Amino acid sequence: MVIVKRKILSLWERLYLPEVLRGLSITFRKMFEPRVTRQYPEEGLPTDGVTRGQPRLVVKDDGNIACVSCGLCEAACPAYAITIDGQETDRFIEREPERFDIDMLRCILCGFCEEACPKDAIYMSNELELADYTREALAYDMEKLKRPASAMRERMDYVKKINDRW
Amino acid sequence: MSQSEAKDSGARDTAMVTITINGREVEADPSKPLIAACHAEGEEVPHYCYHPGLSPVGSCRICQVGVQQGQMPPRVMAACRTPVAEGMVVDTEAPKAHDARRECLEFLLKNHPLDCPICDKAGECTLQDYSFDEGQGEGRSVEPRRKLDKRKSLGDVIVLDQERCILCSRCVRFFEEVPETPQLCIGERGSHSVVETFMNRPLTGNYQGNLADICPVGALTLKEFRFQARVWNLHKVASTCAGCSRGCAVTTEVLRKHEVKRFRPRHEPAVNGYWMCDTGRFALEAPNREHRLCGGILRGGSGQAQPVDTRTALEVARDMLIVHGEALIVASPFLTVEEGRELLALGKTLGARPVFLSPEPNDLTDDLLHTGDPCPNRRGLSELGFDALPVEEVLETLPSYESALLVGERLIDMLGAKNLATLPTALRVVLLECHYVDSPSIDVAVGIPNHVEREGTWVNVDGHAGRIAIARPTPEGVWMATRTIDTLHELLTMSAPGADAPGSATPGAIPSTPGAEATLG
Amino acid sequence: MSDAQAQLLVMFIKAAAIYGGLLGCAALMTLAERKFSAWMQYRIGPNRVGPWGLLQPLADGVKFIFKEEVTPDGASPWIFRLAPLMAAVPAMLTVAVVPIGGEFQLFGVTTQLSITNLDIGALYVLAIGGLGVYGVILGGWASNSKYSLLGGLRASAQMISYELALILGILSIVAISGSLDLLQIVEGQKGTFLGFLPDWNLFKQPLAFVLFVVATFAETNRHPFDFAECEPELVGGFHTEYSSMKFALFFLGEYCAMIVMACLTVTLFLGGHAVPYWADAPWWIEAGAFSAKAGFFLFLFIWVRWTLPRFRFDQLMHLGWKVFLPLSLFNLFVTGAVISL
Repeated sequence: MVIVKRKILSLWERLYLPEVLRGLSITFRKMFEPRVTRQYPEEGLPTDGVTRGQPRLVVKDDGNIACVSCGLCEAACPAYAITIDGQETDRFIEREPERFDIDMLRCILCGFCEEACPKDAIYMSNELELADYTREALAYDMEKLKRPASAMRERMDYVKKINDRW
Repeated sequence: MSQSEAKDSGARDTAMVTITINGREVEADPSKPLIAACHAEGEEVPHYCYHPGLSPVGSCRICQVGVQQGQMPPRVMAACRTPVAEGMVVDTEAPKAHDARRECLEFLLKNHPLDCPICDKAGECTLQDYSFDEGQGEGRSVEPRRKLDKRKSLGDVIVLDQERCILCSRCVRFFEEVPETPQLCIGERGSHSVVETFMNRPLTGNYQGNLADICPVGALTLKEFRFQARVWNLHKVASTCAGCSRGCAVTTEVLRKHEVKRFRPRHEPAVNGYWMCDTGRFALEAPNREHRLCGGILRGGSGQAQPVDTRTALEVARDMLIVHGEALIVASPFLTVEEGRELLALGKTLGARPVFLSPEPNDLTDDLLHTGDPCPNRRGLSELGFDALPVEEVLETLPSYESALLVGERLIDMLGAKNLATLPTALRVVLLECHYVDSPSIDVAVGIPNHVEREGTWVNVDGHAGRIAIARPTPEGVWMATRTIDTLHELLTMSAPGADAPGSATPGAIPSTPGAEATLG
Repeated sequence: MSDAQAQLLVMFIKAAAIYGGLLGCAALMTLAERKFSAWMQYRIGPNRVGPWGLLQPLADGVKFIFKEEVTPDGASPWIFRLAPLMAAVPAMLTVAVVPIGGEFQLFGVTTQLSITNLDIGALYVLAIGGLGVYGVILGGWASNSKYSLLGGLRASAQMISYELALILGILSIVAISGSLDLLQIVEGQKGTFLGFLPDWNLFKQPLAFVLFVVATFAETNRHPFDFAECEPELVGGFHTEYSSMKFALFFLGEYCAMIVMACLTVTLFLGGHAVPYWADAPWWIEAGAFSAKAGFFLFLFIWVRWTLPRFRFDQLMHLGWKVFLPLSLFNLFVTGAVISL
């Protein structure tokens, strides 16, 4: 067992004055260093591929989404935020969502849907702001969830890179 | 009747043999293949071409198990084509058997497309399950997969995806053995084999829907159910088919506690074996019909339909039935035995004659399952003491009564809304139905649950009791049918004629049944 | 306009200007506090209300006015209402005797830039300043809350302990100046000391200066001696139960006390409004010099607050009674000895 003896302070030390002055000089110098504050609404949050914002359906270059309404994201969703109904389509994928709702108030941005998606149809976008005046407005339907692939490229590349690791 | 029943009866005549399965000595039926004995023991042996209701062919080879007979070294054998013999020692988990199964699986998967996300079978697909358990992560084949027709229509009921087919021939055998109208065959040869109909004719018959159930993969799917729901989202409840008086055991599958998506047959050797007809399978319109009658509706002196809560409606009905004492009680053939008993007791109090509506037999009857009689509980109600009365007779008799109590779902359909509207206005009609028709002759209407929302018993044509079960919650404000009838009965008993002037009874004066305080939304 | 009328008018103008300045400074101090703390932590601080956030105190004031007034159950109603005034008023009164600038002419009246000039200014300051503790202890007691009561008790113990050092520090100055009149003390600091330094008491009484400045921190309940509030232990200390404008008054009192203490330090030790090496500077230069000196001490209050951690209460008492009191007495003794020699 180590016993650390309390240091007996001298009168000068007990006055604290040298240390106080040193502390004051530090805080004074810090006043002139660059600020790190971000002026949030004007200055957006920096996002990159790692950012896990709200999930979005990627609109491919041909204007369609890749979703086949397989329901894996719905099943993976721990918050039961996703609801999907499928329908038949003439496209090659045979099946497409008739309804694809994400209740953004339930969504916890965990990214399980992105991970579960076998078709690379849903990705976590860099959109982080979520505010509206009614609950209904925050239950997003398919049209609200669509986002062009160009805007999602960074995340898609990042996820691909991570998946390539193993 | 059905194939399986014949087999079951045959089994009882044969002496049982003793075999060893995974170290346990068990009695096995030598008339059934080894795989049946393994399954009876709870051992999981995968199988695609084998179906307990069909003859075994051994085409998929996925059911291979290690079998030792006598002093011979153990061998890997297809369990579905191996008869059970005295002294057999079976090891379903033998490493060699696993290896053999894995190899078979790889072959099956060689041409099977990886479209589980699209496939309707995903979630209840044994190929998917077993691939998940034992399949390889990556295929070794460099050859391209077979390119075949992915959306080949086989008539009105079934769509065939030839790429997904693993050529187990269950569907071919089904048509040969169950309805005994062979329609499908394996066409072409070798690696070009596909399932097809002769000359591409559409499938016919009332049993095509079973193909989607027995297909071990997603090759044969129902047009009706195609892409409608993911199977793991379906809430499944064991129930009984309402299609005819056969009362096939079914599973009612409901999507998100709301919409009945499909009925599937449930194994019940005494009734339907493994099968059901398409009429019952696709009877989704009635349980899913919108615009339900919630609570009660009164038609006062003004002639305007006025929504009230169930209890108020029942009180008005009580007053009506007391004043207009001579009543005819018409039950729907969909009423359960339990509800029938309540209604009978009510009829006794009222001194009314109970009958049940007996529509004409339809022409759907066949040798296999469908009886052609659309009354699922005909036998149950008859044995309780209800008289079967055809629709015309009910309509003829009704005007001679002072009042009528019509109880049960689909009464409006069976009687005809037009016929109801032409009933004399002097006749007081109390209607307990799932739906409402705005007709001047109906004085009081009270909502009841339909057959996927109630529970009870239907007795089928052979006297077999089939349970119906609650697959989804009742609409808000709707009481269970037994409670509605019972409450009306109680109200009638509380106010014996003469003791209480009609209409003077207040809700507070009546001892309430448990939960009667619950009001309507 | 008669002479008496003119004098009365001048008096009112001076009073209005000085109190307006005091309250304005107190308001600005709240902004400065937040701005400086932000800068020391690499932040920007309030910048949304008005240019550079200058209207932030106004916004805060409006907010305080509209906040709900909460009076706890069992609070002594009158004392509960009186306490914020008791805290704010003495601090404001003290500023009356502080000479801010030199002589100037207004409406033909020659006057000083201070509300009044008492012969016993130093005594007045101590007497009135000592009342400030009543607001704190009454507020703490009247709230009917254990946190408030403990905060009030601590504040009174602390103020009494450090008032000794404060008084003894002033006494040393009074001893060398030979006057209780603050103006006289300032006049005594004009000129030079040792030929090159301004003749400030700071250089003659360095020990007294240090003790006095530290005591002012304790007297105003500022960090590192803010035991009256002491958020980690006592929620909010004596003002836990206060809300709305009553809460604001406590803070007004605290900031006024800070300003008064800064002014007093400047007056006693830094030559007050005297401009070094410029004996006959015009009054507005003198007022500017005074403001600059006082401003430094106000900054020091903020600077120290965002630099030092809070003491422990026993350390505070130890420092007050076992270090400051002997040192002050020693300093006064030496001062007396030197003067008498």
